[in-house]
This record gives sequence, C-alpha cells and structure tokens, in this order.
Amino acid sequence: MMNMFRWWWGILLAFLLLAVLRVFLPLPFSNEVIIFSIYTMGCSFLLGRAGFISFGQPAYLATGAYATAFYLFYFGTNPYIGILIGILAGIVMSLIVGPLFVRLRSDYFALVNLALAVIMFYMLQKVLVGITKGDNGLWFLTNIASTPVLDLSRPNHFYIFAFLVAIAVWAFYKYLNDTLYGACCLASKINEDKVKFLGYSNFKIRLTAFVIANTTTALAGSLYAVYLGFVSPEMTSSHRAADPVVVTILGGVGTLYGPIAGAIAYTGMKDLISGLIGNWELVIGFLLVFIMLAGEKGIWGTLEPLLKKLLFRKNALKSE
Amino acid sequence: MMDTQLLISGVIFGLSIGSIFFLMAIGLSLCFGLMRIISLDQLLYYSIGAYVTYSISLLTGSMWLGALAGMVVAGIISFGVERFIFLRIYERDIAFTMIASFGVLIGGVGVIKSIWGVIPRPVPIPTLTQISILGTEIPVYRLIVIAISLLVYLGIWLFLNRTIIGKAIRAGIEDVEHVEGLGINIYRLFTTTFIIAGTLSGLAGGLHAPLIMVDPQMGLEVMPFVFMVVIIGGLGSIKGTLISAFLVGQVVSIGSLIYAPLAQMAPFAIMLLILLVKPTGLYGSKLLKR
Amino acid sequence: MEPGMPVYGGLMAMNNEEILTVRNLNVSYGEAKVLFDIDLGVKPGQVVACVGRNGAGKSTLLKSIAGFLKPLSGSITCDGVDLIGRMSYDIAKMGIKYIPQDKKVFSDLTVRENLELGSYATKDYNWDQVTDYFPKLKELMDRKAGHLSGGERQMLMIGRAILGSPKVLLIDEPTEGLAPSIVSHLKTVFGELKKKSSLVIVEQNLPLICAISDKVYAIKEGRIIKELAGESVKANICEPYL
Repeated sequence: MMNMFRWWWGILLAFLLLAVLRVFLPLPFSNEVIIFSIYTMGCSFLLGRAGFISFGQPAYLATGAYATAFYLFYFGTNPYIGILIGILAGIVMSLIVGPLFVRLRSDYFALVNLALAVIMFYMLQKVLVGITKGDNGLWFLTNIASTPVLDLSRPNHFYIFAFLVAIAVWAFYKYLNDTLYGACCLASKINEDKVKFLGYSNFKIRLTAFVIANTTTALAGSLYAVYLGFVSPEMTSSHRAADPVVVTILGGVGTLYGPIAGAIAYTGMKDLISGLIGNWELVIGFLLVFIMLAGEKGIWGTLEPLLKKLLFRKNALKSE
Repeated sequence: MMDTQLLISGVIFGLSIGSIFFLMAIGLSLCFGLMRIISLDQLLYYSIGAYVTYSISLLTGSMWLGALAGMVVAGIISFGVERFIFLRIYERDIAFTMIASFGVLIGGVGVIKSIWGVIPRPVPIPTLTQISILGTEIPVYRLIVIAISLLVYLGIWLFLNRTIIGKAIRAGIEDVEHVEGLGINIYRLFTTTFIIAGTLSGLAGGLHAPLIMVDPQMGLEVMPFVFMVVIIGGLGSIKGTLISAFLVGQVVSIGSLIYAPLAQMAPFAIMLLILLVKPTGLYGSKLLKR
Repeated sequence: MEPGMPVYGGLMAMNNEEILTVRNLNVSYGEAKVLFDIDLGVKPGQVVACVGRNGAGKSTLLKSIAGFLKPLSGSITCDGVDLIGRMSYDIAKMGIKYIPQDKKVFSDLTVRENLELGSYATKDYNWDQVTDYFPKLKELMDRKAGHLSGGERQMLMIGRAILGSPKVLLIDEPTEGLAPSIVSHLKTVFGELKKKSSLVIVEQNLPLICAISDKVYAIKEGRIIKELAGESVKANICEPYL
C-alpha cells in the first residue's frame, strides 16, 4: 500500500498542480499546457531513455492531427474515433519510417527527422493541397458531435478528458521505465555493444522506443486537432521543430515530471513574456543556454531534490 | 519544353543559392568534424552578417563594406560565444551541445528583434549590371557570389592542406585525442575553427542579403537547407559539402522551374534517399568516431 | 643533463631521483572503480613494464598519467611537477608522450604531415633521429598514412612521439599483432630509446619484457600485486617461463 502510494505520489502532486492551474488560470492556457506536456513526454522519453534527439517531432504531431482532421472533416463526427484514428496513424507512420531512421547515428537522426518535418510541411501545404486545403487549413469545429459523458466539443469537458489522457500516458511511461524494457533502452543508449552481447537487439529496442514515443506525439496531435477544431501546415513548420526539445530540456531530460514542468514553464513564458515585451525568444534562448551551462538538470531536476527534502521532512515529522 | 534562356538563368540562380549554402555549410561541417558539435548558432551569425550588412550599407551606401563588416562582426560574436559557452561544454554529448547552440540561436534572434525590429528590411543590390551568356541576361551580382564562394573553397583547401594548423585540424577530424597526445593545444584549434565557421556564415548572410529580404527569422528559414547540404555531403567533408551545396542549389532552382512545390521538397527527398543508401552522406568518412 | 637533476627544482625529484612518480592513484570510469592505490616509480633511463590480464587496468594507468582520465585521488608527479589537473596536451608538451594501443595514425595525412604535426607541437624539426631508428619511413614520406601496414603505423606513431626528446614514453601494447621481425626491430629501438627517455610499456610479450625491462609491475584487478626490479625480473619471470 505504502509502495503504491510512493509510486503515485509524484503524479498526484504534479496533477494536483495542474488541477489547481485549472482553477486559477484561463482554460485555453491549461489545455495548451496539458496537450503540450503529452507532446513532450514522447520527446523526453526518446531523448532521455533512448538517447535520440529529434528535431522532427512536428512531423508526427501533424500525422496525428491530420489523420484526426481528415476523419472529422470528411467522414465522421465522433471525436473519440477521430483520436483513435490519429493514434493509429501515428503507429503506422512510425512503423514506416522507424526501421529506416533508427539505424542512423544520433546526429543524423536529429537532422533526418527535421527533413521529414520539412517534407511533411510542403506535402500538407502544397502537394496535397486538394485534400488539406493548403495554408487555409481544415476547419471542422462544427463537425464535432457532442458525445455523452465527456463532451469533447466543450472546452471544459475536453480539459478533463485531456487531463485523464495525460495521467494515463504518464502512468504508462512510469510503468515502462520500471520494466526490463526501460532498462534495456537506457542500456542501449549508454553502450550499444554491451546490449548486443547480452543478447538483445538494439534495433528492436530502438524501434519500439521510436514507435512508442511518436505514437504519443501523434496522440497529442489528435488532441490538438479536436481541441482547436482546425489544423494547418503551420504546426510542422521548421520554426517550431525544436519546441518539444526545448520543453524537454527546460523540464529536465529523462525525468517524468519534466515534461509537465517544462510545458507549464514554456507556455507560461511564451504567453507572459510575449504579452509583456513581445520578445520571448530572447528569454527562452538565454534560459536554455543557462540551463545547459548549469548542468542540464532543467526545472524539474532542480526542483526535485528540494521538493523531496520538503516532503520527507514532513513524513519524518508525522512518523514521530 | 523548357527554353534555354530559362534554363541558363535557372542554373545560375541555383549556383548562387548553392554558393550561399556552401559558405554556411562549410563551417557547420568543420565544426562537426573537429569538435563533434552541431552548431545551430551558425544560423545566427548568418542573420547577424545580413543585418550588419543592412545597417552599414544604409550608413555608407556600400554593400561590399557592409558585407565585410558583417563578416567581422559575425566572427567576433562567434569568438565570444565559443569562449563563454562552447568551451565549457565540448566534452558533453552531441545532443547537449546541439540544444545549447539552439538556445544561442533563438536568444540571438531575440536580440536581433530588439535591435532591428521584426519588419523585413531590403538591402540594395550593389550592381545591377547584367551580362549576356548565350543570349541570356545574367545579373553580375550572382556571378560574383559564385566566384566568392569558389575563392573561399580554394582558400579553405589551401588552409587545410598547406598550413600546419590546417593539417592539425584535418588530423583532429580523424582523431582529436591523438592530436592532443602529440602536445597540440586542441582548444586553440577549436576556437580557430569556430571563428572561421562564424565568419563564413556572416559572409553568407551578407552576400545573401541583397537577394532576399533581411528578417529575424531568416536563419531558421535556411536551416533545413543548410543542414541538408551538410548531411548529403557527409559531415566533416569539405569537398562533399561543395558538391552537395551546388547539387541542392540546382535542385531548388531547376525544380522550381518544373513544378514549384517540388523545389522545396525535392532536396529533402533526395537527402532521405542518399542517407538510406549511404548513412554517412556522399563523402562522409566511416572513420569518424561516435 | 645529469639524470635526476631537478629541472623544476622540486624536492621530490631530489630525494628519490625518480622522473615519474605515481602515489596512491585511484581511478574510476563513472561508477566503476578500476585502479586502487597504485604506486609506481620510474627512474631516468629505466624501462618499466606493466603486465597483467586484459582489463586489469594497465591501459587505464597509462591514460591517467597522460591526462586523458581524471583520477579520483592520488598524485602523479614528473620531475617534481604535479600532473593532475593538467590538460593532456600540456602533459605531452612537458615531455610525457602517450602512444595508444589502437595504432591509429592520421590516415588522411601523409607520413610527412604526420611527422610535421609531431614537430609542430614540440618545435623539434630534427627528423634524423626518427629516420635513424626507422629508415623505412624515409621511403614512405609521401604516402598516405592510411595505406601503411600495421608495423609501419607503429613506427610512425613512435616516430612522431619521440620528436622533442620526451622524458617519458608511455607505450601501450606496442607489439600487439605485429610480425616477429618488426617486434625484434622494435626491441632494438626500445633499447636505443632508453638512453634518452624512460619508457613505461604495457606489454604481453614476455620475451620482450625480459630483454628490455629494468622493472616489472604485475597488475591484477586494478591493484599492483607484485613489483620486481633488476635481477629479480630475470629470476622470477624470465627463468621460470622461458
């Protein structure tokens, strides 16, 4: 029981914070944060566990978003089915490109993904203009039907749904990190030769990590599509290619709460600073450099020891 | 049927774009080869080069003076960045330096925005003369750009093959620990290489400025193309970079004559193909560790 | 110069006249500790051999002396000057040259350029000393080092390291994988080299060790388990095993 609690305490704390956010902050902001943290979890897993830095996450985001959008625009009305289709598209996409990409060295991997994002951008913007409507994007907010229980066409219900999805995704990654597979990932990041000698296939380990991470990203894309009710090629533009990487670093690489902390910080800063001085790149950029120079622990990595200290002192007091 | 005039101007256009890509990619390639960093901040020095060119040409009326100043300023700033940031993190993982350099890039874009504002600025082209090649009017400025990039290639080649520091850099691209083991201060080599890279990026920005509008995001716009050039050529190879720069330039330019959307996308498809066949690029060496 | 004359005026060098002294050296790779309390001393003109199984930590010892690994604790001094915390190029400049095991020359550069780099670092342009030891390199000057055979590479690596007359040469497995004729050539060269420099050699080849070394350290699982010097090398290793 106690162990269960310990397993969960972090998530309870983090999501309590999100629930509090919901009360104090405007809904669009909270929704943005939740989706962004799901978006980042995939990237964080890829970077922290498998050692792959990807500058092409928008490509997978768009895969999910556009799959959902196509369904909702052309075929159906049920947002849940739309999201499921988005996830499926993510799996298919990463299964197609994964076997080719994960063979590459990590530096090439980063750049090849960037190339994929650029190709996606031009595909969506120009080549497939007949079905994607190019730069105008697809608008289907009114197509989304009300659903019983959690009505995704209403932002506050959507928030609850996204919240639950985020918890599920987080718990999944937490579980994954504790399994043998998680250990294999880490091992293949640190020393691929030794993993080979132990009888595991680096290729399979990496492919699985790639598929898992990018399916998560596609899920975030689907959520974006349903939430905003519209998609446009802009989401894959190379300007935004580094967003998830930046958030991962801001939050702290490989930590589980990092994506949440990073998403809050990034979205918050973007909103706050661009509201105040209209120049958020300046602050984010220098913050990023500062974090890297200070030892890449990120926001969560720095906060965690402090929080733990605080919490355990409380526990100690209680037990006395 | 494409007519010859269009084709010739297309080729020249492609070569001049390729020259700009080459000037930027060579620095990236050297930095990767020697220091094992992916220096995204080269794109910042490119923007700085362009902006300084803009300001100086506005002030003095001479774009050439502006490009020169842009080069110098870009070189100085790259020196500062290397000293204060990269020198501390060379030992780290490549993902780590890549992110730090990205931080420098967007931080720098922020600085540019606060100095020059967000509105795109035009830079006057220094010479409007055209000469006729096979009956096609070709702007002389584009030819000058091509000539400059070839001169730079020659210069870099001489530097790497004829000077002792160049030889040390080539040796370091193979194995930096052995160079260090001989008693050569590798950090001095790193700084030299970084400044060369930054200066050339600045030059690229200065030369590119009259051909486009100068705006704060310009670095991010060429980023995918420049990286593609580096990858197709093979990280760490100078010759490969030159060839792939001109290749990409031609694909962009000739491609746009055939079918406009193809121009932007085709190079990336080519890159994917090349990487799948040869994961280290055209001239990428297998000797590179890591 | 008289052997043992303190160049930097350190007291240490005066007292035990060792040119290279390692005391209580502890080294780890991340979490895994590989060297425990290593003590090692090299006197001028001595050939010191380190023997032991693969993975015993011999190469780690050489790398730590050369500054490529940062030790946890302990001291390494050369002529009374502390080496710990110095950059490895600095250590090489002070005359402690490390010749790694991998036989990797700069394969894209010619033999001449490889030697030029050695000269550039030490400002010693007297290549006769190299070609005296390895006449073969003379004919190969303009060949790309990548096209050399294993033995020629080893000659080039030693050749570019002895420029600048280093005080100590740290040589990792110099004869591994080389033909017997080249091994015997290297044996003579090492015999000549010890007149100018001290040598620390990690080696598996017992006959070679017997022929040239003045002192042998046996290393097992990161600890020095035996130290033999002078006549006892012959008595304990050469006679029983050869």
